[in-house]
Amino acid sequence: MGQTVRTMAEMEVGTTGWNELLFPDGTARPAAVALVAQLRQLGLAELQERQNLAELDILAMGITFTVYSDGRGTDRAWPFDIIPRVIAAAEWRQVEAGLKQRLTALNRFIDDLYNDQNVLHDGIIPSDIVMSSPNFRPECMGSSPKFGVWAHICGTDLVRDGDGTMRVLEDNLRVPSGVSYMLQNRAISKRAFADVFRQQSILPVDDYPGQLRRLLLSLAPDSVAGRQPSVVVLTPGVFNSAYFEHTFLAQSMGAALVEGADLYVDNDDRVFMRSIGGPQPVDVIYRRVDDLFLDPECFRSDSMLGVPGLMRAWRSGNVAIANAPGAGVADDKVIYSWVPNLIRYYLNEEAILPNVATYRCSEPDDLAYVVRNAAELVLKPANESGGYGITIGDRATAAELAEAVAKVKAEPRNWIAQPILTLSTAPTICDDRLSPRHLDLRPFVLSGQDTYVTTGGLTRVALVEGSLIVNSSQGGGSKDTWIVETP
Amino acid sequence: MLLSRVAANLYWAARYLERAEGTARIVREHTSLFVDSPSSLRLSWDPLLAVTGGESMFDDMDNQRSETDIVHFLLSEPRNPGSIQASVGSARENLRSAREVFPIPAWFVVNDLHLYVTSRVEEGLHRRSRARFLGHVITEHQRLIGVLTSTMTRDDAYTMMRLGRHIERADMALRVLDVRAGQLLKSREPQELLYDDLQWLSMLKSLSAAQMYQRQTLLHGEGSGPIGFVLHEPSFPRSVAYSLASARESAARLPNPTPVLATIDHARDMLGAVDPLSLDDVQLHDTVDRLEVAIAAIHKAADAAYFGASAETVVRDVAV
Repeated sequence: MGQTVRTMAEMEVGTTGWNELLFPDGTARPAAVALVAQLRQLGLAELQERQNLAELDILAMGITFTVYSDGRGTDRAWPFDIIPRVIAAAEWRQVEAGLKQRLTALNRFIDDLYNDQNVLHDGIIPSDIVMSSPNFRPECMGSSPKFGVWAHICGTDLVRDGDGTMRVLEDNLRVPSGVSYMLQNRAISKRAFADVFRQQSILPVDDYPGQLRRLLLSLAPDSVAGRQPSVVVLTPGVFNSAYFEHTFLAQSMGAALVEGADLYVDNDDRVFMRSIGGPQPVDVIYRRVDDLFLDPECFRSDSMLGVPGLMRAWRSGNVAIANAPGAGVADDKVIYSWVPNLIRYYLNEEAILPNVATYRCSEPDDLAYVVRNAAELVLKPANESGGYGITIGDRATAAELAEAVAKVKAEPRNWIAQPILTLSTAPTICDDRLSPRHLDLRPFVLSGQDTYVTTGGLTRVALVEGSLIVNSSQGGGSKDTWIVETP
Repeated sequence: MLLSRVAANLYWAARYLERAEGTARIVREHTSLFVDSPSSLRLSWDPLLAVTGGESMFDDMDNQRSETDIVHFLLSEPRNPGSIQASVGSARENLRSAREVFPIPAWFVVNDLHLYVTSRVEEGLHRRSRARFLGHVITEHQRLIGVLTSTMTRDDAYTMMRLGRHIERADMALRVLDVRAGQLLKSREPQELLYDDLQWLSMLKSLSAAQMYQRQTLLHGEGSGPIGFVLHEPSFPRSVAYSLASARESAARLPNPTPVLATIDHARDMLGAVDPLSLDDVQLHDTVDRLEVAIAAIHKAADAAYFGASAETVVRDVAV
């Protein structure tokens, strides 16, 4: 019993942030009752043993992500903490509805932008903000992909603030990654906590690859008749940080994993892959390559990753590309601040999921406020991802802060600022105890004829005490996410 | 449908893994022979370098021709692409770019083998733990072949691996014959012939052929001897004849195989014309040389027919 008591004493709630498993008095939140009881019963030594076994599983299964060193990518074991993050199913249904609403509006917006531009004519969002977005692609004007959908696969980052409200931090509409880790985390966590899974109703996550496959097949051009559409996953190659995920998804869907050099476009604007039996037609491309590297004929002529002529083929309607080129315009963080207005404009509804308060440095009043209060704000570049380029006001040195403010002043259009949120926490196995660590959540949304949201998503956790940076490229880890039916 | 690039990845992965297994057998058997060989035999470690074809690279690396340096070179030297550790690493890199066609349980085996070799190769360097380390490399590769046999669709991807494996196996058997049998065919002093039976057996053991050879000869007589067994025995799965027959069977299933089949048939005809009982050491060496050129031609034909359009992510062998 000594062991049990010690563990209970060591599972701190933490003084900052909303603890996902525990009330401030240390008792379990309703959805986490069974889990917390189990954690307390197991004791720290047993949990550490299970953590070690999970890490061995990860090594043996080759679950890796790639870091860059000496100019070459090396794959590292995926960092994972076995203590899951738990969300009540009733709350999740609200989040799911909010994400569906958001993606419906965002897709309507992108389609409008590349066609009639009513949203600009009606003055809902300033034209110069949209036109100056580095992710706006004039090459896409006049295109209308099937179902009017451009952002087929979206990873939206959610955070829970100090009072427990779930908010959207950002939308990733270009090539969001992480979904394979969500699936692998579940596989590992089922082994670590098989007993808890039996005791309660934790909703499964495994249908994602099947849903993705169905979506991609549905995007095949109507001209593909009388044969099974051919679907491929396009990867930048083995040195890309998400290469594990590219193979994982291709594998789970049964699709070929292709690199740019495996494909070519013929004079009739049709796409083929080079197989040992000669050219094979390609109908749907799930691309994990950024817009600018897709087609050297159209975008960066120095791109070795792309396929010359791919944009011709797409515009001719001979091939579907997911996400559609140009979809990234809607994940510009300045445009993000208008999403509640876009939801109102296109759907005549109020946003179910609130944004995080955002100052647009492009607007003089906001800029003045940001410059004055930089030390209490997070300064973010509008078009970076992976947590790069961010300055957190109260953690930066005076010199770093001054440098960031100077950048903001020089290019106000490309910066936003947000209050420093105290992200929610969950108990995490640290050296000799369970300590609260900050986390976020990335659910994935599939949009086609209808919309699908993953059950939960990828929970990322900042493993360093007090840190708010959850990106795996910067020392973050991950947890399984349990959506639990409560009686 | 199999992408040309993925085809090359699979073919090379199969070759690298077969080579790792082959090298493991050869080193294990040589160590076993060495440990209780009488000093009159003056057994050296040089033949291991000759078999694996890395002599000049080895000498360029400022090594001594000692057991320590030679075993290190064959097991773990990262600059030697044929070392067990480098081969397994290259195989895994190639398969990492072919995972969508490669069975998941088979990937786990490759990954296990890679983890094992990288973390435990030190054990292979010490004579006391060497047999266990090498034995594990061999059985893990055998396990992989078992998993592939029982889980993988007999499609182009499977066939491509089988083709690569048998080309490498034929090549490896020829190298072993050349060096190990060649030595025994030389004319020597009578006291040097004392342990020849042991050495013939050892040659067969480095190809896992000893037990099957004994059974065969007890039932059917000496036949054309150990060399004949390794070259011609149609029912022994590691003989050159069997490997070439399997390579032919594999190639015949691939699209547009005519040019590749022609090179395989040429090699088989050449092999069929060899009379193992009439060879002295020089003739054996010439014969092996010609057969190796014929096998290299099979590889070149496959490369031209199937891998021509492949991208540069394939980890290729520089030596071939």
